[in-house]
Amino acid sequence: MTDFHKGLLAVNDENLSKESSSLAAIATLNKSGKESFLQQEIPTRKTEAWKFTSLFGFTSNEEGYGRLAASYDAAGLDALTTIPALDAQRLVFVNGQFSAELSSKESVANVVRFSEANEAQQAIIADNLGTAIEQEKHIFAALNNATTTDGVLVHVGKNENLKTNIQITHITTAQANPFTVQARILIVLETGAEATIVEHFASNSDEQNCFVNAITEAKVGPNARLNHYRLQLMQEGSIQIGGVHVDLDRDANYDSFQLGLGAKIVRNDINVNHNVGGSHCELVGVYLPQNKQLIDFHSNIEHKIANCTTKEVFRGIMADKSKAVFNGRIHIHPDAQKTLAELSNKNLLLSNDATINTKPELEIYADDVRCAHGATIAQLDEQARFYLRSRGISAAEADVMLSFGFINELLENLELDAVRNLIRPILAQRFGRDEELMQHIG
Amino acid sequence: MTDNAEIDRQIGREYEAGFITDVESATLAPGLNEDTVRFISAKKGEPEWLLEWRLKAFAAWKEMTPPNWAQVQHLDIDFQEVSYYSEPKSMEDRPQSLDEVDPELLATYEKLGIPVHEQAALAGVAVDIVFDSVSLGTTFRKTLAEAGVIFMPISEAVHEHPELVKKYMGSVVPQKDNYYAALNSAVFSDGSFVYIPKGVRCPMELSTYFRINEEKTGQFERTLIIADEGSHVSYLEGCTAPMRDENQLHAAVVELIAHDDSEIKYSTVQNWYPGDSEGKGGIYNFVTKRAVAHTNAKVSWTQVETGSAITWKYPSCILKGDNSVGEFYSVALTNNFQEADTGTKMIHLGKNTKSTIITKGISAGKSQNSYRGLVKMGPGATGARNYTQCDSLLIGDKCGAHTFPYIESKNPSAVVEHEATTSKVSDEQLFLCQQRGIDTEKAVSMIVNGFCKEVFKELPMEFAVEAGKLLEVSLEGSVG
Amino acid sequence: MLTIKDLQAKVEDKDILKGLNLDIKPGEIHAIMGPNGAGKSTLGNVLSGREGYEVTGGSAELEGKDLLDLDPEERARLGLFLAFQYPVEIPGVSNLEFLKASVDSVRAAQGKEPLDSVSFLKLARAKCKLVDLDQSFLKRGVNEGFSGGEKKRNEIMQMMLLEPKLCILDETDSGLDIDALQVVAEGVNSLRDPNRSFIIVTHYQRLLDYIVPDFVHVLANGKIVKSGGKELALELEEKGYAWLEDAAENGAS
Repeated sequence: MTDFHKGLLAVNDENLSKESSSLAAIATLNKSGKESFLQQEIPTRKTEAWKFTSLFGFTSNEEGYGRLAASYDAAGLDALTTIPALDAQRLVFVNGQFSAELSSKESVANVVRFSEANEAQQAIIADNLGTAIEQEKHIFAALNNATTTDGVLVHVGKNENLKTNIQITHITTAQANPFTVQARILIVLETGAEATIVEHFASNSDEQNCFVNAITEAKVGPNARLNHYRLQLMQEGSIQIGGVHVDLDRDANYDSFQLGLGAKIVRNDINVNHNVGGSHCELVGVYLPQNKQLIDFHSNIEHKIANCTTKEVFRGIMADKSKAVFNGRIHIHPDAQKTLAELSNKNLLLSNDATINTKPELEIYADDVRCAHGATIAQLDEQARFYLRSRGISAAEADVMLSFGFINELLENLELDAVRNLIRPILAQRFGRDEELMQHIG
Repeated sequence: MTDNAEIDRQIGREYEAGFITDVESATLAPGLNEDTVRFISAKKGEPEWLLEWRLKAFAAWKEMTPPNWAQVQHLDIDFQEVSYYSEPKSMEDRPQSLDEVDPELLATYEKLGIPVHEQAALAGVAVDIVFDSVSLGTTFRKTLAEAGVIFMPISEAVHEHPELVKKYMGSVVPQKDNYYAALNSAVFSDGSFVYIPKGVRCPMELSTYFRINEEKTGQFERTLIIADEGSHVSYLEGCTAPMRDENQLHAAVVELIAHDDSEIKYSTVQNWYPGDSEGKGGIYNFVTKRAVAHTNAKVSWTQVETGSAITWKYPSCILKGDNSVGEFYSVALTNNFQEADTGTKMIHLGKNTKSTIITKGISAGKSQNSYRGLVKMGPGATGARNYTQCDSLLIGDKCGAHTFPYIESKNPSAVVEHEATTSKVSDEQLFLCQQRGIDTEKAVSMIVNGFCKEVFKELPMEFAVEAGKLLEVSLEGSVG
Repeated sequence: MLTIKDLQAKVEDKDILKGLNLDIKPGEIHAIMGPNGAGKSTLGNVLSGREGYEVTGGSAELEGKDLLDLDPEERARLGLFLAFQYPVEIPGVSNLEFLKASVDSVRAAQGKEPLDSVSFLKLARAKCKLVDLDQSFLKRGVNEGFSGGEKKRNEIMQMMLLEPKLCILDETDSGLDIDALQVVAEGVNSLRDPNRSFIIVTHYQRLLDYIVPDFVHVLANGKIVKSGGKELALELEEKGYAWLEDAAENGAS
């Protein structure tokens, strides 16, 4: 066991004993997670999946990120947790701890914390928890499995359309010591069920010293539909690692929007398994690192079976000394005939010190498929720029409008207006950086 | 629509270059140690500095491990089982001209369709031939000498132009660059050397044919091409090997230096023995090819890869000088149990550098075909451009086609565009052809040739014809 | 209004304009006709300051101000408007925000306050109606998914909003059906004003049935080779351009 493993586990052992879950399912998960985690080596630059994302500053943190946060002051956090005009059942966690104060007063039966689950819900957790994750391939998912003590279950029954949106917010605050949040969500949609879930990460100060490891698992049943938003809006001090692991049943639909804005180091693994056939997955993502941020999205779509489709679009703009990593793998198994899969990744670099590493990957073992991917690193379109300028718009403003448009194009199709309205002004500020230039965006 | 038995029959079609040439050879016993390196160096009567250079590479190689990142699977190679030197006996007294070469050997090349004598004259191609470990002599030396072009076996260049060899060898692919390059640096036997003086346009195409003949023999040739300022050269390379049940190793190094305003065009038709339909035998082709392009220089790699059990090859360009241009055009066809992991690296360092990558991967049988590439825009690559298009064609449902492009940019004014598509020879296309009276065989060949057209047009004429034929032979019947 | 003297320009090392002269007075409509490749579109692009068009000689002044040294946006703010032959699609940039940005900057150059959002929306809607564009187009990306005719009408709408001094219509009629052509023509005619001039670049005489020009010029081989009244357009329709091109070449040799 290395210091890295110890640092992340040992202190948690203490927490586990202190706050150990009475749920057998979690205890089982913790055990297998710990075994798997200890077997895996710390990712280094020689680990293919971590080639461009160094965890050096993280793994060399002598204080470790093992412990939980001490306490928090809920005052003033309400505004931070609110997504204006979003009609949602809201669950709020501050530094990993549930805050009844900030959460919706009334609850819907579909959403429950593991620790509060009734017998039927416990059975659902036991049947599903950990089943969509290949923890031996994802060391931080294994860590989450090993150390998570509670989580949120969203369960939607057969043919139920959950009209209420579910918002799950994690807020981190500044603490005296570095601390960790092992967040966990399990989403189970039965046959024909439909739900919209907004995961939302925010912080209340630049002085962040936390490591958030947030794992979301979704089991989307036959003909069910999951609309999933994952918005990383926290400030730049923290480390945010985590992933989304989705199993799609027959004719299931998974629509996802990922926004990477916050944190010092962000790593998101998105894994979608087309398991049974006829399923469709649509992934849209946006990353906008600035200053010295590093944002890394690794997506992996497993087409294990015939007649499934994937459409994936990620765009990023890198400013200042920031860096982004995108790795989009589409894997077509031998039985996955009639697959349609396409991936597009476009990038803009705004500064001489920014970096982008992109790698769209296709691995294809079936012949009757239509697969394509494209990746570009480009400048703003000269024709569009001239068009704007020929209408009297200054070159500087044209650049801001076009950069904004490059991302905004992906926001236009979001189903939740509230999410779009939350994001647009934030983007406008990122691009404009000047009141004059922001006037006509946002 | 098509019949499996017919497919099997066609897939089982024989490798046409698979004959063995019956010449007596002096082959070094298998094994690799410092003495092997010293033996090869002594055999070539090399100067001390080169022996030192080799020993340094050997020392480095011993510390290295074989790369394992490629999408290929093969048995571990026992480097002690390989013979590192073989030459035909009649070479003991080296022939002074091609006329003195063993007719049996030359007949081999006739069989391969290589224009050595009159054919060479007609085609206007100067040919160097490397048979196992030695170069058999170079045609047209005189014509070339008049133009100031040096084209000779590298073993001779070591003696005749030591200052050039010393200056450039290892300057693009250092001894320790990678496992196979280090091995080559230690034990390379022969290869071609080309120097084009300032402002000279090489009066003819230069060509080398490589052939591995002896059993248990590895071939480790080394090619060094230097295009001095403002010069121009087009170089062709072809490879074959006989059918042998065991895997044979080919680990070559090619270094190209394109000085300011020069142009090097390097074309390869690689048809090493691919192994039989059961995946037995075949060449392991682990090759390091790299070019450095100085200001305004242009380097163009074109390859047609149809042979070898395993291909591991990434002809690359370091675009060091401003306005330099790199191109990579590739057709890689795999059938039966072949595995190819090939692509290119375009490293943009200079301003306004440009690169184009066009690859066509065709997978049939149970083969695996991967494109692996790197496009890197360094901080100084202001205004640089890259365009990459990788297309895969799958024939049958037992094969694989993969794309692994690494793209990195550190310059906001650089533009990179990468596109990849996958398709199959569709039943509709085949049916249309059949309905018009074209049989399936011919139809597939037409479709594949059409698929590869963009690359073939980059090949010199006589090679393009050969490549088309080669593709047809390698493909026939593999329709599912 | 516009004075062009001996204008020469090249694109990618190829000389396109080879000494073009044109004088346009306030309120006049000048049609520029000519064969493909004569340099018709180049004229509009050079006047509006598009990159890649290198001016190698001559001058162009708008109301006495030298245009050729100015950035494209400065020319637009002086009152020059180019209706594009192929308006570019800009997904993600809302048409309405784009129009407002444009009107705000042109107004600012004239020392006028920007319109507030509500009045601007009202104005934009009114103009939409004039060119028969549905208001939903204001919410879409700039030209995004617009048909050819809708793009051209969007151009005319922008012209109406900006109220420029000099309007250059670059083959605005190409690809339009007769209904759309009439809408475009009505838009142009509604803007006719003693203080506003037009350059109508077209390959066909058809548009000139609806927008009646004061002068017709034939551009061939980078020069104006013939000028006349509106009847010249009819003559060209009948006889084609070949006779004039020959004349131009003979004249040049």
